[in-house]
Amino acid sequence: MTAERLLAEERSIKVSALERGTVIDHLRHGTGLRVLAVLGLSDADQTVSIGLNLDSRRMGRKDLIKIEGKELTREEIDKIAILSPEATLSIIRDFQVVSKLGPELENELEGVVRCRNPSCISNHERIPSRFLVADREPILRLRCAYCERVVPQGEIDLL
Amino acid sequence: MTADTVANPELAKAFVGRDVVSMRDFRREEILFVLDLAERFEHTSEPLLGGRVVVNLFFEPSTRTRLSFEAAMVRLGGQNIGFADAGISSVAKGESLADTIRVVENYCDIIVIRHKFEGAARLAAEASRLPVINGGDGSNQHPTQTLLDLFTIRKLHGRLEKLRVAFLGDLKYSRTVHSLIEVLAQFECEFVLVSPQELRMPRDILDDLARDGVRCREEFKPSILPVDVDILYTTRIQKERFVDPVEYERVRNAYRLDREALEVFPRPVTVMHPLPRVNEISTDLDDYEGAAYFQQARNGITVRKTLLSLLLGALP
Repeated sequence: MTAERLLAEERSIKVSALERGTVIDHLRHGTGLRVLAVLGLSDADQTVSIGLNLDSRRMGRKDLIKIEGKELTREEIDKIAILSPEATLSIIRDFQVVSKLGPELENELEGVVRCRNPSCISNHERIPSRFLVADREPILRLRCAYCERVVPQGEIDLL
Repeated sequence: MTADTVANPELAKAFVGRDVVSMRDFRREEILFVLDLAERFEHTSEPLLGGRVVVNLFFEPSTRTRLSFEAAMVRLGGQNIGFADAGISSVAKGESLADTIRVVENYCDIIVIRHKFEGAARLAAEASRLPVINGGDGSNQHPTQTLLDLFTIRKLHGRLEKLRVAFLGDLKYSRTVHSLIEVLAQFECEFVLVSPQELRMPRDILDDLARDGVRCREEFKPSILPVDVDILYTTRIQKERFVDPVEYERVRNAYRLDREALEVFPRPVTVMHPLPRVNEISTDLDDYEGAAYFQQARNGITVRKTLLSLLLGALP
């Protein structure tokens, strides 16, 4: 699918085609601004377009973010997967979608989530946080690899 | 002796150089292997660990766990070095834990660590090329306590499967209770959780038990004992875990076991406690038929001897 066609489907968002960059689509309605903040895009150099409360056949309502000239890192993809597991990521090069994938969450997350346990060693030593996926269904639960506390989806504190 | 290294050479080999940080790292088969092997170590004081050195890093005060590890090492002919107070270590000068580990691993063959912060033993194990044994990390894990509890239970009841166990007292902060209940759940045990509301079992552990279909009920009147159990596992209300002293005062005398209280049981019930006790178990229970807490302390040496030998690859 070309980038033009992909964007043509977004009837309610009038933005130009991407030459190179990433489209984060099917973001859970209400998470767009959070994703923007977590990825540090509000004061980034790249041009960013955001659509909120867009119509979606699949989701009813959805958010969408387009970032020019940027491909996401593993940590950034993990953060999106935590905030909105249903999202799709389209990597665009030369106006073509070169890959389209869901933000598959790795089983181990390093430097992505902050442990909320004040007695966890990860909050006292200069080490990156490390979490393991405890459950994916019915809700996402992560376990700190150090203190072993479990944190459910709604309480996950992204770095 | 039901299993030995001859029967399980692969398993014994897999333990050499391994860390003992959390009970979550061990499969049921591995736990049973350690318990079987521990039976052989009960009366062994061969100098299997002659010339070996353990460093005991006790960043948090502990008398009995430290002495138990030291005694286990000495009984097998090994040597102990270490400290029992973080105030005299270079941590007081601001050294990172990983650096402390990388330095002391040059002095020894195996490391035992106790620390007030949860996850410290995991970090130590990641930093070290030597085996690391967790001697307790905050309110998280204390795997050698769990193994000695399991060893004691199996000796007294002949099995771990399908027992009915009541945990009594501080179920919120007690790491002993947290790791023991998770292991016993694998053996299809049933649980009664008796505590004041303020000290109930953490939500995530209750969720895990529910998800795994474990039979479990909570009771919030510690003065009323559940009579339908085989084991009463009691804990001290740990003053040092309370941020709010008012909350501690409210719950400190939540329960007390004595002979009279246990008269409601139709037959002697096994009474366990990780020790030290304060006033939750009366001394008049010390010669009660089911009292097992001093036996637990004795079994602690056995289990620690077993692990030290296993991890250092020096079995009889």
